[in-house]
Amino acid sequence: MHTEPTYNRRLFFKKILAGTGLLAAGAYTSCKPRNPLGHIKGSIIGANSQAGHLVRNIASLPAPSKQVNTDVLIIGGGISGLSAKRWFHKEGVTNVMLIEMDDHFGGNAHHGKNEVSAYPWGAHYIPVPDIRNTELLDFLKEINVITSYDAAGLPVYNEYHLCMDPEERLFINGLWQEGIVPEAGVPVAEKAQFKRFSALIDQFKTAVGSDGKDAFSIPLANSSADEVYRKLDKISFRQYLTEQGYNSIYLLWYLEYGCKDDFGCNLDNTSAWAGIHYFASRKGKGSNCNSSGVLTWPEGNGFLMENLRKLAGDGMASSQLAYQLREEGDKVIVSVYDVARKESYTISAGKVLMSSPQYVNKHLLSSLATPDRIKAVDDFHYAPWMIANITLHHLPPQRGFPLCWDNVIYGTQSVGYVDANHQDLKSSAKRVFTFYLPLVNNAPDVARRKAQATPYEHWLEIIAEEMEHSHPGITECMEHIDVWVWGHGMIAPQPGFIWGDNKKIVSRPINNKIFFAHTDLSGISIFEEAFYQGIRAAKEIVKTT
Amino acid sequence: MDKPQSRSENKTGIVSHILLLLSVFVIATCGLIYELIAGTLASYLLGDSITQFSTIIGTYLFAMGIGSWFSKYLDGNLLKWFIRIEILVGLVGGCSAPVLFAIFEHVESFRLILYAFVGMTGVLVGLEIPLLMRILKNNFEFKDLVSNIFTFDYIGGLLASLIFPLVLVPYLGLIRTSLFFGLMNIIVALLLLYKFKETRGYRRSFLFIISISIIIFLVAFAYAEKIMAYSESITFQDKVIYSKSTVYQRIVLTKNNRELRLFLNGNLQFSSADEYRYHEALIHPAMQALPHARNVMVLGGGDGLAVRELLKYPQLQSIKLIDLDPGMTSLFTHNQMLAQLNNHSLSSPKVKVFNTDAYNWVRNDTTRYDCIIIDFPDPGNYSVGKLYTNSFYKEIYRLLTDDGVVVVQSTSPYIGRRSFWCIDHTLASVGFLTMPYHAYVPSFGEWGYVMATKNHSWRNDGQLPAGLKYINAATIRDMMFFPPDMCEVNTDINRLNNQVLVHYFETDWGPYAH
Repeated sequence: MHTEPTYNRRLFFKKILAGTGLLAAGAYTSCKPRNPLGHIKGSIIGANSQAGHLVRNIASLPAPSKQVNTDVLIIGGGISGLSAKRWFHKEGVTNVMLIEMDDHFGGNAHHGKNEVSAYPWGAHYIPVPDIRNTELLDFLKEINVITSYDAAGLPVYNEYHLCMDPEERLFINGLWQEGIVPEAGVPVAEKAQFKRFSALIDQFKTAVGSDGKDAFSIPLANSSADEVYRKLDKISFRQYLTEQGYNSIYLLWYLEYGCKDDFGCNLDNTSAWAGIHYFASRKGKGSNCNSSGVLTWPEGNGFLMENLRKLAGDGMASSQLAYQLREEGDKVIVSVYDVARKESYTISAGKVLMSSPQYVNKHLLSSLATPDRIKAVDDFHYAPWMIANITLHHLPPQRGFPLCWDNVIYGTQSVGYVDANHQDLKSSAKRVFTFYLPLVNNAPDVARRKAQATPYEHWLEIIAEEMEHSHPGITECMEHIDVWVWGHGMIAPQPGFIWGDNKKIVSRPINNKIFFAHTDLSGISIFEEAFYQGIRAAKEIVKTT
Repeated sequence: MDKPQSRSENKTGIVSHILLLLSVFVIATCGLIYELIAGTLASYLLGDSITQFSTIIGTYLFAMGIGSWFSKYLDGNLLKWFIRIEILVGLVGGCSAPVLFAIFEHVESFRLILYAFVGMTGVLVGLEIPLLMRILKNNFEFKDLVSNIFTFDYIGGLLASLIFPLVLVPYLGLIRTSLFFGLMNIIVALLLLYKFKETRGYRRSFLFIISISIIIFLVAFAYAEKIMAYSESITFQDKVIYSKSTVYQRIVLTKNNRELRLFLNGNLQFSSADEYRYHEALIHPAMQALPHARNVMVLGGGDGLAVRELLKYPQLQSIKLIDLDPGMTSLFTHNQMLAQLNNHSLSSPKVKVFNTDAYNWVRNDTTRYDCIIIDFPDPGNYSVGKLYTNSFYKEIYRLLTDDGVVVVQSTSPYIGRRSFWCIDHTLASVGFLTMPYHAYVPSFGEWGYVMATKNHSWRNDGQLPAGLKYINAATIRDMMFFPPDMCEVNTDINRLNNQVLVHYFETDWGPYAH
């Protein structure tokens, strides 16, 4: 007797199988999403170069309909402009206006915020300053970053603003190590090169030129003019290192990391002077920290920027695009387009401080610039960057040293990520990581065009790939990623630029009416330089008035 | 094809009968074992063994009933059905413990999956006996058949219930036991397949499934330790009666005849046998000196045991408890056994519980407290380390009244000597006068505390509450004495930007880590 299974029986077994299958399917689907990046929300929110690009085609803008008068007009609300504005305000110079073309102030110190954390969209720390940089120390004291001075005269830093421990780690040879100088798996011979390089830097840190000035200083303008050091600007950092017999792959990686981090450049297009300056200029002191101490905030240098703004008085407006300057008697007439209202007007100013970058200024000054200035501006190159803020609902388990403020991954394109929550004392599983990618693979203009054409999804792939390398499984923890592309992120200190003639030519005021302040006139894009440039130019203006 | 019934009537019949009856025995043993495994596992992982065993047994028996009822719908080649079910029982039952252990940490609805396993095993086991009776019905008289089958069934049951607690759990462990009996079921299927010629037609496909299952079981058997390690519940010496992963930590309670122990992330927080020593030493030296105290703040200490001691001072009007983890404070408020331990302190009208980050709270708080009790976990990582920094103590200094007292649990001055003195020095660095002391708590060892005040007002002559088991004026005096092997050593100050304490703690405790 051999009958076919009846309907009931089949149904019964189907149920058992379905039950088992359900268990298995449940387990499977819970760990396998269909599109590995499909769950990540966000967009490219920065990189709105449209307003800026209007200056290239001013014929399309409406004609000015009114005129405003001021003693001093500052064009550009980045750190240089805000520092100048604060200085004028502090010195009691009234009737100063500041206009900014973007809808926000701050330039590279721009910042954002979501429900998890505040985060930077650019610069995110400053090293503890040199105690001779009194202008900067005064500002830090004014905003309670320095709480007092100890008996020895050293600044006591607000401990909520000093970068908390653990500060830095490096993912290398399969695990996270403490500190970013490669250690794990580095051969002894290469470690010796690190030691030699570090000794060299210690020498440079204390070196003084024949004019009695520090060889390497911040602000950079205070550095010695001694040719022994200045000649280092004429060669690339790579050439210098080769001449000095440095060939350790790990050391070269580390030094290139420094160039990428501070200048957005690689070893070949960074001048040796600038490369050494990165390491040798950090000689700050504090009562409660050492010279490698840094000051940082969840919103990065946005913290300093907002404080500058608060101290800068009124008379500042954003979304105001200056598009043309011309002289009229003893005045400068600046044509401005109000991006929000879509109307133009002119500002008649006694003095103008251009704290905008030179690639913008060349359009604004087309009728005023001398041929040598026009030619000199061609020597200004700007490194493009991509910065992403990644919101994670938790962190996957990882190997080695725990999460730090600065997290660098050996041998990758990016310069790693910063944990925006690091300075936040709340314990939170959710975090925001700020991911920094200098686009150094192509010449700046090629990289800029490429970056501006790159769609959001492609940036996601780049980010996910780099992050997965050091954190397997992290992609699934990513909730939200916003991307900002800085077409002209930083001035590139290419060989010959910092101490070359072109920078000097461009820095010169025009007819004692138009003055310049921007980090591109220093040659390196850091807060301290912008702060210095703004105050220097403001002082020049007051002196000539 | 021949009918199996007619085949079994020939010479090989007797062997086959014995084999089939033997399989009843194995089946019965396996069936009960699966039930016991499920019950034990449920009470290990979910706690409350009476409820767990009772509901598991009920579900299992009910599922067997469903299986028996369904058996009437199975027709045709009954032996083939029987072998098929045997393999399924082996697979489902054998995998139950490893799968349940592995998923416990990771799924929300663990109970649902547990009962699904119990139900499936029950249904399959329930099918076996009726099916077997029908296979054998032509070979025995009905009374013999019933008698034989149930005899073997109950003997198997007895065997299972004896070897499970005496041999299997102690020597094999739950996972291996589960796998072993799964394997037994599969072997019964294999033997039947081998002994009965009428199975020839489908031997090949069954053999394939059987060999794959055997390989899987053997591999799993070899790696059972790893699966166990995956579920940390097993790493505790005593029976785990409660375990829960909150957003912040893993809470595990274990129990033996003598004591109840609480572990946070695997670290012992207290044992009910001697926690009175720890908590009396934490509270009374400070509180006896504060007859005018009204406001107290407790940071950490979500178990409510420090609050229990504080409530012995009727002059207190308000006790604020700041603990990050609502899972912890709610457990110690609502769980009967634990609320009994803290004398329902967290339900007192004087007590207000705030589940928030302590650092953030302290930075924003503006109240002034007469006594602040700081009972955080040891500074074993950077996020806890922040709560032991000079910056944190500056905030505490601001919140303390001029005659107030702060007490900080400060790890072991014997094992963590540098850590202990680092805490003392860090408190002193922000302007506190410190009074370090220590007590012997058997389940911890020598344990340290630092009392800190703003002036010299502290005295050891206050009124202590009645009924204390460890603290009196003489004990307080004794606790202040540090023998040479625990006495003061030089340390740095713990700051947010150096976190030296975490480094000290790692080196101090390193040799004692597993």
